[in-house]
Amino acid sequence: MSANVSGVKHTRGFDVIKPLSVSVLIAIMLPLVLLPLASIFVFGTSNGLTSFWNALVAPEAIFALKLSFATSFWAMIFNVIFGLFAAYVLSRYAFWGRNAIIVMISIPTAIPTAVAGFALLLLWGPYGLLGRYLPPDMQIMFTPYAIILANIFVTFPLAFGVIMPVLETMSRSLEEASATMGASRWQTFWYVTLPSLRGAIVGGALLTFARAVGEFGSTILVSGNLAGRTQTAPLYIFSKFNEGQVEAANAVAVVLALFSFVIFSVLFFARDWLEAD
Amino acid sequence: MFEINGGAAVHVISLSKHFGGAAVLDNINFEVAQGEIVVLLGASGSGKTTILRIIAGLEMPDTGRILLHGKEVTELPARERGTGVIFQSYALFPKMTVAKNIGYGLRLRGRSRKDIRKKIDELIELVHLEEHRDKYPAQLSGGQQQRVAIARALAYEPEVLLFDEPFGALDAQIRTRLRKEIRELLKKINVPSIFITHDQEEALELADRIAVLNKGMIEQIATPFDVYMHPETEYVATFLGAANIIPGYIDHRCFRCEDISIDLDDEMRFSNGQAASLVVRPEDVFLRKPENLIQKYQPLTDGIVDEVSFVGAFERVSVRLAFIHDKRMIVTRPKTETAAFPLTIGQKVPVGVVRFRVLPDNNREPVQRSSSAAKR
Amino acid sequence: MKRLCLSITLIFAVLATTDCLPGPMDGSDGSKGVVITVYGFSIMKEPLEKSIFPAFAAKWKAEHGSNVSFITSFAGSETVTNQILQGAPADIAVLAIERDVDRLVQGGAVKNDWRARPGKGIVNTTPFIILVRKGNPKQINDFPDLAREGVQLIHPDPTSSGGAQWSLLAIYGSELKKSEAASGGEDIPKATQLLHEVWHNVISTPGSAREARTSLETGYGDALVTYELEGLMMTQAGEPFQVVVPKATIFSEHPAVMIDRSLTPEKRPVVEAFMNYLWSDEAQQAFVKHHFRSVTNDLFNQANPEFVKIELPFTIELFGGWDKAYPDVIQGVFINQIKTR
Repeated sequence: MSANVSGVKHTRGFDVIKPLSVSVLIAIMLPLVLLPLASIFVFGTSNGLTSFWNALVAPEAIFALKLSFATSFWAMIFNVIFGLFAAYVLSRYAFWGRNAIIVMISIPTAIPTAVAGFALLLLWGPYGLLGRYLPPDMQIMFTPYAIILANIFVTFPLAFGVIMPVLETMSRSLEEASATMGASRWQTFWYVTLPSLRGAIVGGALLTFARAVGEFGSTILVSGNLAGRTQTAPLYIFSKFNEGQVEAANAVAVVLALFSFVIFSVLFFARDWLEAD
Repeated sequence: MFEINGGAAVHVISLSKHFGGAAVLDNINFEVAQGEIVVLLGASGSGKTTILRIIAGLEMPDTGRILLHGKEVTELPARERGTGVIFQSYALFPKMTVAKNIGYGLRLRGRSRKDIRKKIDELIELVHLEEHRDKYPAQLSGGQQQRVAIARALAYEPEVLLFDEPFGALDAQIRTRLRKEIRELLKKINVPSIFITHDQEEALELADRIAVLNKGMIEQIATPFDVYMHPETEYVATFLGAANIIPGYIDHRCFRCEDISIDLDDEMRFSNGQAASLVVRPEDVFLRKPENLIQKYQPLTDGIVDEVSFVGAFERVSVRLAFIHDKRMIVTRPKTETAAFPLTIGQKVPVGVVRFRVLPDNNREPVQRSSSAAKR
Repeated sequence: MKRLCLSITLIFAVLATTDCLPGPMDGSDGSKGVVITVYGFSIMKEPLEKSIFPAFAAKWKAEHGSNVSFITSFAGSETVTNQILQGAPADIAVLAIERDVDRLVQGGAVKNDWRARPGKGIVNTTPFIILVRKGNPKQINDFPDLAREGVQLIHPDPTSSGGAQWSLLAIYGSELKKSEAASGGEDIPKATQLLHEVWHNVISTPGSAREARTSLETGYGDALVTYELEGLMMTQAGEPFQVVVPKATIFSEHPAVMIDRSLTPEKRPVVEAFMNYLWSDEAQQAFVKHHFRSVTNDLFNQANPEFVKIELPFTIELFGGWDKAYPDVIQGVFINQIKTR
């Protein structure tokens, strides 16, 4: 940007656009995203760290966090395995109805989460279409299993959506080479296809997990919101807020916010590794 | 022309395949002897890739059979055939090292770790990749990747090696060098190989025999020398090397076209009045009287020099033949010729050939027996 | 990179093995005695969890030697009712309005004999007051002041909150009561107009009475019509709010019912015992301590000096019971005439 002309330092055409655009970007993000996030942390520590800590280690809070992580974990496992299976079948085989299935897998994202929860209740609730035939000790609704079910529904297409494009663009000759070398379909999948999907699987899993942890609309309907039994972290925050115990709500909110931050940092910094070769 | 020889490594018998009404392959027959290199040469769409894939088991023919070392494999899936395929993109497994790639086939067959290691060492030495043993494919050059692909296919001692345009992705310089290396290597290990390519120079240099494919049919299968010097169809003649084609007809064991008249010695396969083409390679044409010419000279007609181009090692001349409406012949002349007999544009020259082929032309109707006035 | 892979898998493995699914927190998986599930509307949380549950559990242990524990879920009264209708595993429900109990009866969850209990099934009561900011900057002294220009009101949503419906009835009914006391006849048009003007000033309708209070606390609005106990809880806690006592207001009555539908023979005796306990002296005194008014003994109420005095009190009977109040006032006046404008 500057040139030495006969010993005098001389700047030409100072580029104003770059810092200006960046500032605008930050200015827009500030009130919408950055400041609300910051206020969670500011408020949480405003009464001192001890009261924050006490709110955090309250048994109901710990339970809520554990429940959230556990139910999201299992929903993630299921959806990653299913997503892998579905992506493989749909990218490798052509059959009548293939496109319809792809669309159907993606539908859960378009459905409001409360509707999803309600639909599950209608089906599996004690008076539900199928639930009424279940014996009382095998009722799904209002137990942690209902939360897992709701999480699976709501995050259904996420892992699939990450894995499918990778499978579609993966060169067929890799699998053909493996076949000509003597591998069965399963061996090819395990030794050749899967390693190349490593990044997509991890990315899809993290996405599913993070989304499930934050799920609220369906959980509040199917869980019954029983404190200490089926109350997930978002439900806990909501209930505590309603009860006027804002510090308690805030403590758990801070944990969730930090958690999301960590997950998406991982997704970002490891993105090169996550993208297939 | 070919017989089903019980001892051949690969037999391809009456392979046919149709796709949507069009014939992709039409009655393909050939065989590959143990240790032989056969090149399937043809333009894209000629069906050569399909043949390769059918032999590998990646596609199924409509009719036909494949035998590998006498064993019928037509119904077998790819993984049971024991073929080694080197893909155009090499298809090396990106998340495995060179050593792991090479050992893959053996691992699938459940060999012991010791055996696998030993074999990998052997092959790495064979293809000279010692320093790259633990590298990943992305870290290798194109030529190195190709060697890994070959080593990988050889590891499990395949019945036949199938190369799918293996030099397509490489620079021209490397290509020539690699061709030699690969041929040496293949001859050393004595595994039958089938290459497919559209590059005629490559085919001529690599092959023990070349099969020229055109629209799903083999037009000719013979040694490079035969295919080049004695092409049996116009397509073969023009695909390998340049060729001048002069259309004419047969008149009593004589090829005639305008004022060209050539006696054919024992070409009994022509019938009187049959339409035929005279095929002459540019390097076989001489534009002077046959003084000091060692080879047998056959005069053709007269011509007028139209264009002269200097092409480094030789000179390319375009000659307009006087009596055949605006027919041009391409002639190449080596330095010895250009020095001794320089040409200028517009110069009238006699045109003669030292080598030629006369091939039947099935696209034109035979003519009635008549004298020199050619009737179309 | 391999290490990252490994550590992530390790984290998940730890998660998986240690907490397949966290077992219920309060210990009881059936191994530690009976578990009673109580669903209640938002403001019942404190008296139940802090006083009544522990006291009952101790009493039961002393008398029978076995353990009782409670699991709870609190939300707006209508929400709770809907959850139970959908099959939520409640053993007992404490609701804000009788109408919600009627819905449960209609849905087959509760038997129709619930009024046979002491107090006609009502477990406690509380008058509706106006909660304003300390110092009463907007000079609000009675319901009509809420209709003034520039006053901003928080009012919970009547479709999800029982407390909201009580509030509407308090406002509307106060005019009826006052006009009745003054001239002997109920002035319906005036009451309707008051309600209309008050609703005009509502800036936010949260889902439950407790939510509404939290909204007010965090700085929204100038006033909130709510249960006396909410106001007393806040002033006791030193929050900058004060209670304004209206001249005429309604006493809300809160029913507690047993959800017959889901009771097993093992549970029934304990649940029955707990239901009866709610009307015991101990429990009623506990309610008073938490600023609810007892229904069994007015003397208990005197133990709480904070309780306000209402000049012209009335109950749902003013409207002829919930059977009339709901269609006439909530639906007829509020939903049809006011809300839809």
